[in-house]
Amino acid sequence: MSLLRRFGGDHPYLTAFTIFELAFLILPSVIILVVSLGSGEIISFPPTALSLKWYASLLAQPQYVQPFLNSVIVATFCTAISIPIGIVTALGLNRYDIRFEDGIQIYLLLPFTVPLVVSGFIFLIIFGRLGWIGHLWAVGLGLTIINIPFMIWSVASSVNAFDPTLEDAARSLGAEEIQTFLKVTLPSLMPGVISGALLMFMLALNEFIVSLIITVTDTETLPVAIYGAIRGNISPQIAAVSSVYVLVAIVAIVVADRLVGLERFLHT
Amino acid sequence: MSIREGLRYGSLRAKWRIVDALIAAKQRAPVDFDGGSDRFGYALLIPGVLLVSFLAVGMVFLAWYSVLTYDTVEIIAYEYTLANWRDLIDTGTFYTVFVRTIMYSAAVTAGCVALAIPYAYLVVRTDRTLFRYLLLFGLFVPFFTGVIIRAYGWLIILGENGLLNWVLGTLSLPTVSFLGTPVAVLLGLLQYLLPFAVLMLTPAIASIDPDLERAAKNCGANQWQTFRHVVLPLARPGITAATIVSFTICMANYSIPDLLGGGTLSFVANFIYNQVFGTLNYPFAAVLSVVLVAVASSFVLVVFKMYGTGTLGVEVDEA
Repeated sequence: MSLLRRFGGDHPYLTAFTIFELAFLILPSVIILVVSLGSGEIISFPPTALSLKWYASLLAQPQYVQPFLNSVIVATFCTAISIPIGIVTALGLNRYDIRFEDGIQIYLLLPFTVPLVVSGFIFLIIFGRLGWIGHLWAVGLGLTIINIPFMIWSVASSVNAFDPTLEDAARSLGAEEIQTFLKVTLPSLMPGVISGALLMFMLALNEFIVSLIITVTDTETLPVAIYGAIRGNISPQIAAVSSVYVLVAIVAIVVADRLVGLERFLHT
Repeated sequence: MSIREGLRYGSLRAKWRIVDALIAAKQRAPVDFDGGSDRFGYALLIPGVLLVSFLAVGMVFLAWYSVLTYDTVEIIAYEYTLANWRDLIDTGTFYTVFVRTIMYSAAVTAGCVALAIPYAYLVVRTDRTLFRYLLLFGLFVPFFTGVIIRAYGWLIILGENGLLNWVLGTLSLPTVSFLGTPVAVLLGLLQYLLPFAVLMLTPAIASIDPDLERAAKNCGANQWQTFRHVVLPLARPGITAATIVSFTICMANYSIPDLLGGGTLSFVANFIYNQVFGTLNYPFAAVLSVVLVAVASSFVLVVFKMYGTGTLGVEVDEA
């Protein structure tokens, strides 16, 4: 009890309860890391001797290498096109007197209101009619559409925090409009852009159901490949692939914390 | 001048050239860029609106497909019919699946919000940096690890030779098999959605003035009373947002019922997927999609009407 009070401060019971929740939240990720280090042919507990052999075996598996590359390309594509779109949309909504602004805002939330499986089906129909199925960029486009509100939100919070008088100051010191935008406005929107970009990248890297519907063998992304493998058997090799995701997630968190601070993500 | 300085100077010069060219282009362009022009503001919204139009147009397509005829060879025949909608009413499976989806989503949402409140509260209020960092870490690791990876983690934990049975075995307790049961699906969904709920709640809790809690304490309220009468009512916008987000995401989930439910506990999403890829019945899948969107959005609308938009409202103040 005294330990609990020392650690939990004013809220000992709440703290104890929350620690259970914390364990519950990270258990699946941790267990994947543990299992991926086993050396047995099947997953069993307690883990047998430690080994990195499943990781080594990955590189020889085209089954995972191509999907991995596809996922990285798709996520990069999403991030690259969502950054300019996020910036102009947030600026347009914030700076200009737009009629039907509420309506446009609700419209821009459509990707969140349409269930993902339905979005996937919609892309299958539209992209299919346009002959886009089978192109990797079409997968990227689809994933950008479903996640774009995250980017807009994130940049909008930076736009709101920005003091427009700074622009007036730049202008009165003789800066041209474009110079003002590049040297004053854009740098101060960077925190929002960075956190939005990070979110877009991570969400696209992990996206599953829409990718499952609109990818074909050549454009398969890693989560889809992992899903296919899980349905077959649950060999420890899958744990090694999956732990790549857990490690990437951990790296992303550290990067996010260094660049903009984790707290920022709580407010977007 | 060293090479490095030369490079720097060169790149600086290139940058200025680009900016100058942009300015020149802008002055020649026939558009009026003056800050006051709202037409430019509309132009800025075009890319975002176009992007989202795919979904808006898609919804129209779905409505159209839902009244077309299903053909086993051509997939769709362009003849109008109401047969798909009649199938919806006649199909008993559909009813079971829909009710199951809604019941599970309601249960998971309630659990999620209940678990998220203390978590979000401590994330905001704890004064221990390390503990706070751990909590954030526990929040973002799952958030940044996709649903498939987490479902796989649960497969390892709950499987026949999994972690849970190993723990039960070492304690000489009888082993259990949760895979394919509602317990597995509920656990998986709860763990999947908890980070979303916490992320929706933290802004609301962060905006509660801690002095209000101190005031309640000074007036003699104990911790529970303070929580019940001060924190909970003021956190309502966050609770609203967390409820909506958890419920809608849960209703549309595919992978967890599929992988942890053992094929017997499918949700609407699985049903739609099977229509699309199993029997290629696009018209019936369109009917199901329209119904799913209708149910999800009417839930959101009812909550918005009753409790406001909560922390979900896009906060874009007019400058």
